[in-house]
Amino acid sequence: MIGSAADTTDTTAELRARRGRRPAGSAALARLLLIVLALGFLTLFVALPLIVVFVQSLAKGFGAYLAAISNPMAWSAIKLTLLVALIAVPLNVVFGLTAAWAIAKFEFRGKSTLITLIDLPFAVSPVIAGLVFILLFGAHGWFGPFLQAHNLRIVFALPGIVLATVFVTFPFVARELIPVMQAQGKDDEETALSLGATGWQTFLRVTLPNIRWGLLYGILLCNARAMGEFGAVSVVSGHIRGLTNTMPLHVEILYNEYNYTAAFAVASLLALLALATLAGKSILEWRQPELRRTALPRRDRGRRAKT
Amino acid sequence: MSIALRGIGKRFGEFAAVENIDLDVPSGALLALLGPSGCGKTTLLRIIAGLEIPDAGQVLFDGRDATFRPVRERKVGFVFQHYALFSHMTVFENVAFGLKVKPRAERPPGALISRKVESLLELVQLEWAGGRYPAQLSGGQRQRVALARALAVDPDVLLLDEPFGALDTQVRHELRRWLRRLHDELHFTSIFVTHDQQEAIEVADTIVVLNRGRIEQLGVPGEVYDLPTSAFVHRFLGQVNEVAVQMREGRAHLGPIDISADAAASTAGSIALIRPHEIDVGRGAGGWPATVLTVRVIGPVVRLELQAEGRKAHPPLEAEISRERHEAERFGVGEAVNLKFRRWQIYPAGIPAD
Repeated sequence: MIGSAADTTDTTAELRARRGRRPAGSAALARLLLIVLALGFLTLFVALPLIVVFVQSLAKGFGAYLAAISNPMAWSAIKLTLLVALIAVPLNVVFGLTAAWAIAKFEFRGKSTLITLIDLPFAVSPVIAGLVFILLFGAHGWFGPFLQAHNLRIVFALPGIVLATVFVTFPFVARELIPVMQAQGKDDEETALSLGATGWQTFLRVTLPNIRWGLLYGILLCNARAMGEFGAVSVVSGHIRGLTNTMPLHVEILYNEYNYTAAFAVASLLALLALATLAGKSILEWRQPELRRTALPRRDRGRRAKT
Repeated sequence: MSIALRGIGKRFGEFAAVENIDLDVPSGALLALLGPSGCGKTTLLRIIAGLEIPDAGQVLFDGRDATFRPVRERKVGFVFQHYALFSHMTVFENVAFGLKVKPRAERPPGALISRKVESLLELVQLEWAGGRYPAQLSGGQRQRVALARALAVDPDVLLLDEPFGALDTQVRHELRRWLRRLHDELHFTSIFVTHDQQEAIEVADTIVVLNRGRIEQLGVPGEVYDLPTSAFVHRFLGQVNEVAVQMREGRAHLGPIDISADAAASTAGSIALIRPHEIDVGRGAGGWPATVLTVRVIGPVVRLELQAEGRKAHPPLEAEISRERHEAERFGVGEAVNLKFRRWQIYPAGIPAD
């Protein structure tokens, strides 16, 4: 799905080159129409709301903006959001890596079931994901009595929020890595092993460098979703101010209290985090095709030169 | 190091990749595993390397059981068809990899590693390429880097999986001769997998022909080519013409040619396999009348397609004559000629067509 981003760029470049050779006419008109349509849609539904967030948050001046962000409740929401992402993303990196490794490098019974399961969080509504955890770990849930007897809190506390976030963001890393690892096959790893490397050395020195771009890309997407998740977290958090409110939840509370400036100020921070993540992703995308472009002509040159 | 396989079997699901294989590879041999795709040759190589664990049988290294010995402890160099160079490392780092991952106690000091890598790059004639990345090299150069990398850890056995399969004919030919020389200089045991009979004949001292997971024939190259023990081997090593044996008045015939002197031909329905260079094309009387369909000059030989009388339903016969003879005789398309068979081999009826 996402892994083919660079390939898509290649194909569009090819298409553009082919189209450039064709005589202009109704094709040119269609092209213009499509571009205007896509750009118009994006401006109206993506760019404009983003601008509104920043405009609204600064509507009462920069002072009010700072005050809204430095409010202790806002501050605790920010810290909680970062903490959740800090726990959930590394967990999903480990899960994603193991799942992708298993699927790409081994044949086993139930492989297709595993692939479907990985996609499950994408398919179900986050609210349902949250409810599942309530049913499992809530006071009247399956494990509720056990947890209460041992004085453990999962729902309406940090563990619940982390669980819900891990569930919702699980597919990103795995989905990103499976096609990359499948394309690479097992030859490199088998060579490393035959040269005497241990499994761990093989992973660190051969596998990891081979998948580094895909992995980084997956981490960025996973992180963006982890910080922005609302539905699942909303169900399990309990909305305890200063304790279990993440940034998205805090924004909603402020908004419901008609505190628009503060709501938009926190929202703008969240948007900034998301923008920073997307910028990181763009930098990666921009570097990746460049690496390929420099590698390709060299290979061609080498082939022509022969041995 | 000598290698022995005892009753090796391996299945993938329902498919038996190899079955009951017994094979002895003496120390210092250069052996080719030859066969069509799906015959189990690569599986066998991977079992020797330790990349697959057999379901049955034993792998012996120097007489000691190594069936379940992990890959990294086997001291085998493995070279893949598509090189499997580490693309994020320079050529130098690729070759040095096996030395650098050794446990601290066994790892040679940096200067020694550098010297070893440089001497290996010299051996594969790539001393200038140490700082390059694999993507900057041609296919033949990359495969030589892969060889140098495998040799860096002083393997007892070198295993090569279709090592030249992805290369141009010219480069392939050069690398074959180079591998042969390298083997003669360094005296390790090598096993390579190929589906190219010419490659096997050119490089190996021993050829093992595999078919459907079993060993069909084992021998020195000339023997396997000239004295195939089965129709499969006969067909697989080089071109063949197939002519059904006909019985007339109790005598065996190939077309109008009486071959009843050949004792093997006495059963009806058996089949004769004849190589193109074993067919004599001439204008003299006698033999099997035929018409020349095409004449193709291929370097030193000339290949003729011939429609023999009474064989309309079969594919044309293929004959190969020397360039000199062709210059002297000048057979033309459409010309009527007479065919004689210098040599043939009879196989019983009912042999599978593959």
